[in-house]
Amino acid sequence: MMNDYDVVVIGAGNGGLTAALSLAKNGCKVLLLEQHNIPGGCATSFIRGRFEFEVALHQLSGLGTESQPGPLRDTFRRLGVLDKLDFVEQENLFRIVLPGKLDITLRACRDDIVRVLKDRFPAESSGIDRFFNLMYLFSTQMIFGVYSRDPEISKTKYPEFFEYAAQDLQAVMDKYLSDPLLKLSIGNYWSYLGLPFNKLSFLDYAIMLFSYIELKPFHIKGSSQALSSALLDAFLKAGGDVRFNCKARKIVVKDKQVQGVVTADGFEISTRHVVSNASTLTTYLEMIDIGDLPESIIQSFSSRTIGLSACGLYLGFDCEPQDMGVTESTNFIYMSDDLDRMFRLGRTLEKPEMVMFSCFDVEDPSFSPTGAAQGALMATSYAEPWLSVPPNQYAETKYEYTQNLLDMLDLIYPDCREHIEEAEVSTPLTHMRYLGHPGGAIYGLDQYVKDTNLFVSPHSAIKGLFFAGAWANSGGFQVTLASGESAARYVLKSLNQ
Amino acid sequence: MAKIDYRKDIQGYEQLRGEIEILNKYGTDYESHRGSVTRVIDRLHPTRLQLKVSEIKKETGTTKTIRFISSGRRLPPFQAGQYINLFVKIGDVRTSRPYSLSSAPHQTGFYDITVRKVESGFVSSYLLDELQVGDELESTAPAGYFYHNPIFHGKDLVFLAGGSGITPLMSMIREVTDRGLNLNIHLIYGSRNYEDIIYYDEIEERAARHSQFRVTHVISEPPSDYTGCCGFISADLLRDVLGDVSDKTFYLCGPDAMYRFCRQELSNLCIPKKKIRNEMFGPPADITSDQYWPTQINPRTTFKVTVHNGKTFPAVAGETLMASLERAGLSVPSSCRSGECSLCRTKLLSGTVFHPRSVKLRKSDIKYGYIHPCVAYPLEDLLIII
Repeated sequence: MMNDYDVVVIGAGNGGLTAALSLAKNGCKVLLLEQHNIPGGCATSFIRGRFEFEVALHQLSGLGTESQPGPLRDTFRRLGVLDKLDFVEQENLFRIVLPGKLDITLRACRDDIVRVLKDRFPAESSGIDRFFNLMYLFSTQMIFGVYSRDPEISKTKYPEFFEYAAQDLQAVMDKYLSDPLLKLSIGNYWSYLGLPFNKLSFLDYAIMLFSYIELKPFHIKGSSQALSSALLDAFLKAGGDVRFNCKARKIVVKDKQVQGVVTADGFEISTRHVVSNASTLTTYLEMIDIGDLPESIIQSFSSRTIGLSACGLYLGFDCEPQDMGVTESTNFIYMSDDLDRMFRLGRTLEKPEMVMFSCFDVEDPSFSPTGAAQGALMATSYAEPWLSVPPNQYAETKYEYTQNLLDMLDLIYPDCREHIEEAEVSTPLTHMRYLGHPGGAIYGLDQYVKDTNLFVSPHSAIKGLFFAGAWANSGGFQVTLASGESAARYVLKSLNQ
Repeated sequence: MAKIDYRKDIQGYEQLRGEIEILNKYGTDYESHRGSVTRVIDRLHPTRLQLKVSEIKKETGTTKTIRFISSGRRLPPFQAGQYINLFVKIGDVRTSRPYSLSSAPHQTGFYDITVRKVESGFVSSYLLDELQVGDELESTAPAGYFYHNPIFHGKDLVFLAGGSGITPLMSMIREVTDRGLNLNIHLIYGSRNYEDIIYYDEIEERAARHSQFRVTHVISEPPSDYTGCCGFISADLLRDVLGDVSDKTFYLCGPDAMYRFCRQELSNLCIPKKKIRNEMFGPPADITSDQYWPTQINPRTTFKVTVHNGKTFPAVAGETLMASLERAGLSVPSSCRSGECSLCRTKLLSGTVFHPRSVKLRKSDIKYGYIHPCVAYPLEDLLIII
């Protein structure tokens, strides 16, 4: 029987795009379905006034430089989009501020970070060295042992990996470091993964920090939409078909095998392979008939929790960053060093105690119009408290909440407020609306120590169904982009059988 | 299976496996989450509203207010100043027009729109002359960015309205005065003559009752015995009626000519751009009068537009691609029909179109050929994806 398509990819987010493009380049007949009128999912931008606001990308990891390419640069090269994109290297990882107590800036350079930390925390000099040695050793062992699939992987060959792979970040930091502010400085990227130190996997954190330092953080000229549009364009050039404004309503499954896809407008497409870039939960709960679901499948999610989302304020300023004293692209502002409290506050509408402020114009003046700048002010937040806001109080609630974020920005850049020319708010409900994900989760499911990919299998229980995106593994640009290529490899394997 | 073997040697691995097994038994039951995302989002942003005309009220000789109640679910909340895009089927053509909601947002029992007759207006004629109480229509949920944003708009607001441009501002006036919000509004309302002023009685009554709300009517074609403000909303007039203009946020809504005039006057008053908020007001009446329109193109030229894997239809250069699509029986989502909301964004595979400068295109839209058909005018044969 002839199928309409070899593969149907549902969703043109990062993972869906790289899956679709990779498959099309390998000669498959691919249809990409996207509910919106543009590719990208989170990786997009929007306009208010004269500003094009970046939605999701803050610091692209894994790219590496031309002389020292990282895995993401290789992915872009394989997919044929590397020369279509302009990347802006960010010199610093971040500035971290806890007013009155801490204010340091860490460059993306190990020696420099260690020096700055030792200057600020002289009593912990040897602990800092030992922690960084461990983190580097661990990450290297992870790369050679796990990523490169060393067949001889063993406890004797990679002792640090075997000792720490299932530990949480708090436990490992406590072993070497004592000042909570030092731990906060080193663990500052926790919000990129969404859990406080004692719930966060050391494995996930170490490899992320290692990769930001060694491969440098980047931004993309023209926003992450430039990446999404380049991937889509390459997909069309490789012979792929795309349908925009076209939601997939149903995945037809018979005898635990994918048979086809039905679109929201009732169009039926036959295929034996589907890559879903929708959330795993949405795919199983909303797109497959209950009778066709293997029994244990929903049950298998019981141990998982829906991950965090974010509240954001996108700000357009009528002056350049330096006019407001903004000198760093990436800033983290804390009100305390109590991460557990911050994590709890993320499930309330109370004033958050950590906010992140990104200003891409610092390193790329072309990002906003001449003489202007934009900033993204974000706090991590779960959807829960927003679900109980009555609809008619939603607008007021979101403005009140984001005023808190601005108050925190005032503490380090007091001139910002008077330069606001445009402002747009997003909440977990905004993300839920645009992505269709439960909880508006921006990184997929929570990634506790027990949820790292040491424990979670990428395979689905339905033949022909594959996943790409944050829900398939974990969140962030690098991971989701890689997830699509990896899903494509599984599909190709299955097609060749 | 070598993988599983090595994982077992990771310190703490077995313990975590045990934890997972317990949680799999006693953790969250996601079966009960079916449909929950849609339920949550539909309370705030349903994709479509089912509306029923409950009342039609004559406002002026050329204007009526149409009141809609929901014939489906509860109407969603909105921010005063937002609009709905109303779908109509007139003859064989299914089209839509955005209308600002003029009713106050603190009640969602009904939505009001106020429609003024536009010369040769395809949809306004239908709404004013043919629509009856009890008729049912569909619309989008409220959208748009023309509203008071407390983050940076301040507390002193000046509304510059021209003709039916009063409608979104009326919603704000009603909300602020009814709820006694901590905001001051000065409405400066330009009309051709006294009979054309929409909501005159209500505006006067609210101004008399609420000290936070003031109004100045400006009449462009006054009778000879008229003693109030006349002419246009000029810098001199603004200085006279407002006094100190610093720290005030200006909201402009009215016809094209008024925008052009008032923007210049505000700039003469040295009002920074960030203090001026504009509402979009549909595609330009005559695109060829746009200063960047390529004069070598005759606006009556007909081009061929082909939908990738679909049909081919004619499109006239001087008309929006959206209008041609609708005439061909094709529909793309739309909301603002002014180039702002991006809902109609469409990928152009070949050919070129003309967009007025007011269209909100992103850098990558320009590079990769995404256009806004609601304000895109074909300059060649086109190939598009819809």
